[in-house]
Amino acid sequence: MGERANLFRAGVLLPVFLLAVTTVYLAASFDIHTQFSGDGEMSPRSIPILAALLMYAALAVVLWTELREPSDSIALRDMARPALVVLATSAYIFLFRPLGYIPSTLAYSAVLLIIFRLETRRPHIFALYVIGVTATFYGLFAGIFGVRLPAMFEGLF
Amino acid sequence: MDTFLNLLTGFSALADWSVLAFMVGGFLVGTFFGAMPGLTSVLAIALLLPVTYTIDVVPALVMCASIFMAGMYSGSITATTINIPGAPSSMMTAVEGNQLMLKGQGANALGHAALGSMIGGCIGTVLLMAFMPVAAELSLLIRTPGKFSLVLFALVVIIIVDKDNIAKGVVATLLGIMIATVGIDVLQPIPRFNFGTETLVEGIDIMPLVIGAFAVSEVLTQAQSWNDPLARTLEKARGLVIRRRDFIPPMSEIRAIGLLAYLRSAFIGYGIGILPGAGGSMAAFVSYAVARSGSKKPEEYGKGSREGIAAAECANNSMCGGAFVPMLMFGIPGDPTTAIVLGVLVINGLQPGPRLLESQADLLAPMLGSLFLSALILIPLSLWLLGPYFVRIVSIPKGLLYTAIAVVALVGSYVATYSVFQMALAVLFGVLAYFMRQQNYSTVSLLLGFILGPDLEEYLRRALSLNDGNPMIFLTSPDSLFFLVLTAIFAYVILFRKPKRGPLARDG
Repeated sequence: MGERANLFRAGVLLPVFLLAVTTVYLAASFDIHTQFSGDGEMSPRSIPILAALLMYAALAVVLWTELREPSDSIALRDMARPALVVLATSAYIFLFRPLGYIPSTLAYSAVLLIIFRLETRRPHIFALYVIGVTATFYGLFAGIFGVRLPAMFEGLF
Repeated sequence: MDTFLNLLTGFSALADWSVLAFMVGGFLVGTFFGAMPGLTSVLAIALLLPVTYTIDVVPALVMCASIFMAGMYSGSITATTINIPGAPSSMMTAVEGNQLMLKGQGANALGHAALGSMIGGCIGTVLLMAFMPVAAELSLLIRTPGKFSLVLFALVVIIIVDKDNIAKGVVATLLGIMIATVGIDVLQPIPRFNFGTETLVEGIDIMPLVIGAFAVSEVLTQAQSWNDPLARTLEKARGLVIRRRDFIPPMSEIRAIGLLAYLRSAFIGYGIGILPGAGGSMAAFVSYAVARSGSKKPEEYGKGSREGIAAAECANNSMCGGAFVPMLMFGIPGDPTTAIVLGVLVINGLQPGPRLLESQADLLAPMLGSLFLSALILIPLSLWLLGPYFVRIVSIPKGLLYTAIAVVALVGSYVATYSVFQMALAVLFGVLAYFMRQQNYSTVSLLLGFILGPDLEEYLRRALSLNDGNPMIFLTSPDSLFFLVLTAIFAYVILFRKPKRGPLARDG
């Protein structure tokens, strides 16, 4: 049972994920068709196919080594905070245009500071940090470099 | 000689106050990122990459060069003061510098680190300027099969440098090559791997990959192992009193180290910089080991050797000059920083190669000037002005720092192309790089595979096409054969040759 559970660790799952990606990549490479070919001409699919085959070989070695000598693995509980950061970041990307830079960045900075447990017991310092981060990068991008950042709620209309 | 003089003339661009401001600003950013444990100059340049879309190429390159030089030097600050190297290249400085710090001679150690960095940085830049025209002439002799073998050499060396993780290095490099094949084919107008979407027809830009691999993955890694060391580092930093006058190393100590030691370290650093994938850590370590084995006072090593500090710092800053040679002449970056600088060149429509030096010397010269002036003036000046406050850098709350990095990384991804898709790609690559880093897959190999993959494919297909598909051309072409033999020699030396047991090996 323990052996079976051990297979579900990052050291095994990452190469398995890459195997799946490589398989999709290899299948898609057979859909590439050349427009012209001459003597000795390699087609546009040749290198992708070669790369995929080499990838299979390298991943086989990685998996073989991993199964013989398991590497240090991340405990599931240690993944909670990075997962929260990814969730918060995905929400930020989703809301960046609809809400605009200022509201979305204020919210995103606040969520990250909570995840990093910074000054959550001193609301005034916390608010200062959130506003400071948002204002600093607004000043940098929009002020100094003249970049047009999404305005508040412009994506809703 | 003309090219050398042209480069010197190009230094005048630094007289423009706005370009000078980018140089000083870049140096301060590089110093901050280099001094802060966990942050690197690579991350600094990665975060500023989107900014280069909105400014001219000259200030962008000037800024990158000063960040590179500052980041390489400033790792020695926290290495010396609190025994936490700000950058991996300062590991050997931590060994010696912190011992001096414990004896109450921390400012003296910082002074020697700055002097070594200054000398190494200047010599590395002069060597770069002096030998680049020669390298350009030599690179003209390399034809298509030779270019393929040269790129292959670079990729192989990058993979085997980490000889305990070769299979993972191959996986990371191939993954980079596979990502680079998305988009229009290198020789024919055929879209590849776009999966029916128009967004992927143009291919994947370097920027989300750089930001994902170096910035987003760093935020996730820090989130995973989160314990803010603020209290501990503040405790260490609180009692430190550093006076400016103590920064200046006495002449007797400089004479004891000797001019030859500085020169030897600078040449070692420059030579290692030219090698793909070697970087500042290897330069510092090799130079330190050589200095130790030939030292008149080997008993001082490990107990606060000024010679050891000088050797390590001189070499890692001299490496900056060497790393630019393969990048500018062949488009082959020597380390991750020059890989991102290559991205800046490509974004601005500049193609690395021997002609670059002739046609665009006016663009390159300010960058080389920035490397030189950063080493000669900004390193000692920043130590003098900011030295007493350096150690307080570590007291900035890490939560605030990584929140700021996350925001600038994502907004930076957006502003480059005004595309939310680029932000999503940066996060996707960031998550992938996070898991890769956890499992010791090199993200540098991923990046270099992405950058060099299209060249490898193009040169291979062109060479075969021009020779009726005969692969023997790679063995019959002298330049190609040279690089293949060089690859074999490097593979033998790195993988099979057992190191001689020296004092370092004996000490474990």
